[in-house]
Amino acid sequence: MAFNRPLLRTSYEQDAAIFPTYTQKGAMVAFGVFLVLMGLGAPYISAIPEFFLGPTWINPITNMLPLAISALGINILVGVTGQVSLGHAFFMGVGAYTAVALGGSGDEWQACVPFHEEIGLLEERGQCGLGLPIWVWLPFSGAVAAAFGIFVSPAAMKVRGLYLAIVTVGLVFIGLHLGRMFPEYAGDFESGRKWPSLDFRLWKEETPLIEFSEDGKWFGLIHLSEEQKQYFLLMALLGGFIILAKNLVRSRTGRALQAIRDRDIAAEVMGVPEFEYKRLGFAISSFYAGIGGALWGSYLGRRSPVDWSLFLSVDFIAILLIGGAGTIAGTMLGAVFVELTPEIVKHRTDWLAEQIDASNIFTPVANFLLTTGESGDFGPINIGTVAPGWTMSVFQWNFVIYGVLIVIFLIFEPLGLFGIWIKIRNYWKRWPFSY
Amino acid sequence: MRRLKVFVALLLALSMLAAACGDDEDSSSGGDDGGSDTSDDSGDSGDSGDSGDSGDSGDSGGAEIATDFGVDAENKIIYVGINGDLTGPFASLVAEIVAAQEVYWEVFNGNGGYQGWTVEPVVLDSSYQTDIGIQNYETLAQESEDGVLMITENTGSPITAAIAEQAAEDNVLVIPLSWASLWPDPAFGSAILEKQTTYCVEAMNGVEWLYEKVQSEGLDPALAIIGRPGEYGEDGSVGAALAAEALGIPVVYDGTGAVAGDDRTAIISELVSSGATMVWVTLTPGELLDIFGNSVTQGLRAYWSGSSPSFNYLVHMPSDFAAEFSEYYFQSQYQAPWATPGIPGMEDIIAAMVEARPELNISDVFTTGWIEGIMAETLIRTAIDQGDLTRANMVAISQDPSFSVDFKGLSADQSWPQDYNEAVVRSSWIYDVDVSKFNLIPLADYTPENPGSTGLIPIEQDYIGSVAENFVFDGPCIETSG
Amino acid sequence: MINAFLQLAQVGTGATLVQTLLKSFALGSVYVLIALGFVIIFKATQVLNFAAGALSMAGAMFMTILISDGGLPLLPFGNPLAPAEGETASVVLFFVNVLIALALAALLGLVIERLAIRPMVGQPLFAMAVITLGIEIAIRPFNLDATALEGRRLGVPWGASSWNWGDAVVPKSYIVAVIIAAIAGAGVLLFFRTKLGVAMRAVAFDQEAAMAQGINVGRVFAIAWAMGTALAALGAIVYGMAPFPPGGSVSQEIHPLLALRVLPVIVLGGLDSVAGAIYGGLIIATAEVFAGQYLSQWNSTLGSGYSTIVPYLVMLFMLLVKPYGLFGTPEIRRV
Repeated sequence: MAFNRPLLRTSYEQDAAIFPTYTQKGAMVAFGVFLVLMGLGAPYISAIPEFFLGPTWINPITNMLPLAISALGINILVGVTGQVSLGHAFFMGVGAYTAVALGGSGDEWQACVPFHEEIGLLEERGQCGLGLPIWVWLPFSGAVAAAFGIFVSPAAMKVRGLYLAIVTVGLVFIGLHLGRMFPEYAGDFESGRKWPSLDFRLWKEETPLIEFSEDGKWFGLIHLSEEQKQYFLLMALLGGFIILAKNLVRSRTGRALQAIRDRDIAAEVMGVPEFEYKRLGFAISSFYAGIGGALWGSYLGRRSPVDWSLFLSVDFIAILLIGGAGTIAGTMLGAVFVELTPEIVKHRTDWLAEQIDASNIFTPVANFLLTTGESGDFGPINIGTVAPGWTMSVFQWNFVIYGVLIVIFLIFEPLGLFGIWIKIRNYWKRWPFSY
Repeated sequence: MRRLKVFVALLLALSMLAAACGDDEDSSSGGDDGGSDTSDDSGDSGDSGDSGDSGDSGDSGGAEIATDFGVDAENKIIYVGINGDLTGPFASLVAEIVAAQEVYWEVFNGNGGYQGWTVEPVVLDSSYQTDIGIQNYETLAQESEDGVLMITENTGSPITAAIAEQAAEDNVLVIPLSWASLWPDPAFGSAILEKQTTYCVEAMNGVEWLYEKVQSEGLDPALAIIGRPGEYGEDGSVGAALAAEALGIPVVYDGTGAVAGDDRTAIISELVSSGATMVWVTLTPGELLDIFGNSVTQGLRAYWSGSSPSFNYLVHMPSDFAAEFSEYYFQSQYQAPWATPGIPGMEDIIAAMVEARPELNISDVFTTGWIEGIMAETLIRTAIDQGDLTRANMVAISQDPSFSVDFKGLSADQSWPQDYNEAVVRSSWIYDVDVSKFNLIPLADYTPENPGSTGLIPIEQDYIGSVAENFVFDGPCIETSG
Repeated sequence: MINAFLQLAQVGTGATLVQTLLKSFALGSVYVLIALGFVIIFKATQVLNFAAGALSMAGAMFMTILISDGGLPLLPFGNPLAPAEGETASVVLFFVNVLIALALAALLGLVIERLAIRPMVGQPLFAMAVITLGIEIAIRPFNLDATALEGRRLGVPWGASSWNWGDAVVPKSYIVAVIIAAIAGAGVLLFFRTKLGVAMRAVAFDQEAAMAQGINVGRVFAIAWAMGTALAALGAIVYGMAPFPPGGSVSQEIHPLLALRVLPVIVLGGLDSVAGAIYGGLIIATAEVFAGQYLSQWNSTLGSGYSTIVPYLVMLFMLLVKPYGLFGTPEIRRV
């Protein structure tokens, strides 16, 4: 039997399998169990995220999940198909506004007809929202975003490389302008509008079939808080979309997309229709972006047009490059890293600040790094009042750390976190002959 | 391995560099012994909220006071939350507001607190991004000992709108750093406790004041209104339009919601050719600088005023249009600026800030932080007197029509009746802008003879125009989007 | 020509047209300066410099530090050329200070090239571009921390003053902007005729072949980054002069986004074309300003603020016709 030797493949099916070895299958099952136990708040296990993120750890982690779904999309477009896009935030926005138009509360359907008379006051405009349930708006948000992706994809045939990246920057600004033009969809330009909740309804009935926005018993079985319910829902959706993406990449389509990434002309010579697959790449990527955007809006409850900004797109590029472009595991690692690092830094700085008075082994470190902002107290991180000068608050340092990490990762580990993992794995695989 | 070493060396070098760049000023006046001269003053501010009898609660101690979250009953510490913008577009002002509120609590605690209870602020940064703001709110509102009793500052309309409903559900009282006319509306968010007036009423007062000014100069009144899209901009613009209607002022240019994007060529040329003699703006400081500067350059001679956040002396005084601002612009505000004489609250601020934060510059917005502190302290004192330091009770107190706060002259005293029309504060302040008086000094250099000045001199304190006074509100000036 | 211009300026609508044209040229000059910074860096090192926003603002910050603070922090000596407290520098002294600020900006460019770009030579173009995104994110807090807490005055000697040509108002800063951009543009064009400039073109053409010819590629990289950063900083300083929106100061609200607005310019002109940067800057600025001025009756249909996206629409339209910009070098595709 082949599974005794890790790298021996005896059939093509084996090579293309999601988890080629039993060890990997076992590890994934164990990891899944770990995530479930973590969500349930099991002792010892939930202490791990709590150490890094503090007692409200479930909020930043749940917030990350819809973004991870969107990140799967950018991986398919940039990592697998090789089309550089900085317009991912635009497609997320498209999905999110589809969700709010179909699922949000509002006036009659007439408000949904884009008719722009004049920039008037809020009370003069209707608000588009049909109040449909999640099983309608979620697929539609992906589908509409995919349609927008198909609409944009001809640009990828015309322009390539960095030119394409800048063209997609334009999309983000055009999206921002559309948000300002159509308040019947987007709500107030600054404070936005309310998104439909994640509750699962069959149609428009009063009590939802499955509750996601209140604490309480689920199916009469288990008492969960609102946050836990959302965590489980989004985690399950993410799991489903990961499997979908994984299957896509290892299918014929996935191989065609990769061929285009590696050399588009060569791919065409081999009989891969370049345009069709680029269009497909945009469509799939935008589908994921739309789903992620809709879920993110729904999880946060309220979004405004300015939230779908270029910085959000940049976040996704950072996720991809820090995690490792082209691999799903890498994308997930990147999402965790990019979205949670600022929270971890914030939380651990608070902890460090407590060590100043605690006088233990961490006190000198704390004294070196932190300043309370009073004169004579040195340290780059200001935990007191933000004062003029070159000491900055931990919040400002978070941005600096984020930027420096992007640079360091690209210089020292171009394959990202996934590359580091591969190195570690190979080291142990060859152990003790690890040279 | 070599790479790792380089990496570590780089990190070390970075941190060394950063440490070397650290604050090396040496104006040490040091220790915060709590400004003893303010002790009796802060005692006063509690008297306004003495609905309970402090006689029996004196011996009760922490044991008999009901608490739920955000209160450490054992050590008698109350945690309050600040969800501020410390790295975003309003960081310069918010950092000073937060500093003032921190100093407020330092003084409060230094005087022994109230019946042994002290207050610790928990500061989080939203960077003015809604998703981070919501997460910060969740952190502050968590139902454990790590949560806070109430949120004493929440920066900005967008984030306040985003959390309003959840806050009402969680019973977390929130004092917003935003003056949108939505907040006094109980229907919008029953846990939002707005301080001072609204952008809408402010615009009514400002336009009426400009009207009198223009008439006294012998000019024909002709109003131009310019605003951003969104709640803030439309709120101010609607107020200005209502005032113009009530006073019969012709509106020669209506740029409500027009200032979007980076290019304002059209707005400027239409404004210049409109023949306006008075302009009301509801903008950001950068937008005002562009529109005002170019209009003045192209020959517009009109008197300007605008919603409070439009003008920021840190932005406008160092610009090349400072002289023109001095001549034509009048700043609308809600409270006393730095070193206004004859205001007891201001004396407290000066004494405490000079003592505790000598490295900061003088600032007008210390008043804002101080006012938030006074509001929260009054609430907390009332709650302790009632023996109930629970979140729900904080919300209940804020909804009690008899509850009122004395701002000690810093701003008009305020109470919060449930009826919108009664709840709206009608007064605002008007400042003259004078760049020749602008003298931004560090607090360490403060002396009573040379107090420094932000170049803003109040000419009307707690001004109530006839329009604002008589207007009957049946709700906010603008509606919220669902 | 000038006479006709002056005559046009006498009438009201003509005056508006003259003013609009002048504003287009002035804004175009700023775009040209920053676009030249992008192009030089891209030409030599194949890096699309997304850090231009933070770097240009840092350059403008150096200027305000020199003028308002009278010297850099941490240095034992002050700036002997700074004007006395409360006074404005003379025009000559002002430009000397501008040159010092540009030198400091160039130094910053050198440091960044050495630390972050040099190790990446030979990596994919996109990875290099993303490195500069990281640099942008890392530098921005320093800029904002320095601006946010006090007013940053540029100390322009002529302030916001202007000339009157008939009814048209001509701000002095606009004329200065055009002159500076003309000098910088001519200087860059001439530079590419010098020995070093030819070396840079050779490196842009083929790095390995250039090395084989004895060109010090590292030095070319360093010079390109120094020049590119200095040009971007010059653009930011010019943009700070009144009556450009920051009104004579460095603005934390306006300056960080300036470089983003130049992206359509360089795509329109071609990422590696100096002529493209100049034409592109003028075309995009003209389209933007004229759309703002003359299409305002369409405000309700297009939505207010539509002129902000006009550059992107022009860019998209152009790219459909010419995928590598007006003057860009097409990529040779082979199997």
